[in-house]
Amino acid sequence: MTWTGGLVIDALALAFLIWVLNLVRIGRLYVGYGVILVALAAASAGVVSITPLRAATQAALARLFGAGGPLVVALCMLVLLLAYVLTQVTLLASRLATLVQELAIRHAAEPPRSSRPAS
Amino acid sequence: MASRILLAVPAHDEEATVADLVARVRRELPEYDLLVVDDGSRDRTGRILDELGVRTARHYCNLGYGRAIQTALKYAARSGYEGLVTLDADGQHPPEQVRAMLEAFGAGGFDMLIGSRYVASQRYAGAPLGRRLGMRTLSLLLSLVTGQRVYDTTSGLKAMRRVVFAPLIRGQFLDFHAEALVYLMRLGYRVGEFPIAMPERLHGQSMYGLVSALEYPLKTLLLLVLGLTQASLARREARR
Repeated sequence: MTWTGGLVIDALALAFLIWVLNLVRIGRLYVGYGVILVALAAASAGVVSITPLRAATQAALARLFGAGGPLVVALCMLVLLLAYVLTQVTLLASRLATLVQELAIRHAAEPPRSSRPAS
Repeated sequence: MASRILLAVPAHDEEATVADLVARVRRELPEYDLLVVDDGSRDRTGRILDELGVRTARHYCNLGYGRAIQTALKYAARSGYEGLVTLDADGQHPPEQVRAMLEAFGAGGFDMLIGSRYVASQRYAGAPLGRRLGMRTLSLLLSLVTGQRVYDTTSGLKAMRRVVFAPLIRGQFLDFHAEALVYLMRLGYRVGEFPIAMPERLHGQSMYGLVSALEYPLKTLLLLVLGLTQASLARREARR
């Protein structure tokens, strides 16, 4: 990988990182998923920025899959897809949680049911 | 002021301790309203609460500790309470100490007061090594970004004033621990600690297992960074 290629991947990882952080900030992505995606982006940036790590990864990819370029693109697409699916899961979970909370608050607003004899 | 404060207890599978806690709260703090948030318990917790005639907000499925606290905050906000005190259902927060804490809360002009196991000694003696390390790191981090040391960032015993209900309901928090404290402190709210003695847990187990011991600091760290950003944005917005 060239120096420019590494820079492009770092820039992409940074943009991805900012996107993920913003999704967590506005509540569109559960923080647990956010942690995984942030770690993934940071690891990718780390791998391409640190020369011995990059060389080792390139060698491993070449040994496993031959040409590594298209594979990296495919992996990036998969990660983007994963982030999208996780935002949808978060949205659904968040709506469900709100519904459960509203029902609970309505339940709490009713007078408590008691089986104790009145004193 | 007493009747305007709500005592809220998030409970999940606490059949062994919840009845005793309710009895102690009723005995020690009879002038306060009590709400138990039953967070999808699968044991007899719900039935016991019904038998005791406790006001209960029942989650039909388990949403987690943070959401249970959020439900209590929403209920308190909508019902016009001036303050909220949260206690854990495992009985580790003695209701006997809440009255003194509430007096300090009223006198000190705090917006949030934390019942703290460690502020008196300023050490983490008695806690397991991993927990001690995590607590110390979070406490130092918090002091670095807010300029104020909070020793017990994970205590579930908290007294809070109505002014913090809205920011806490709106924000993204995990268990309303360090991440929520940083957010509130950066927004200019007054947070303090009140020394309490906490007995060892007799029933049930901690909600933090091995996996969450790894996950928790990472999630908290991420939310802490986001809380800082969010608080800066809110302050900038307020200045305009």
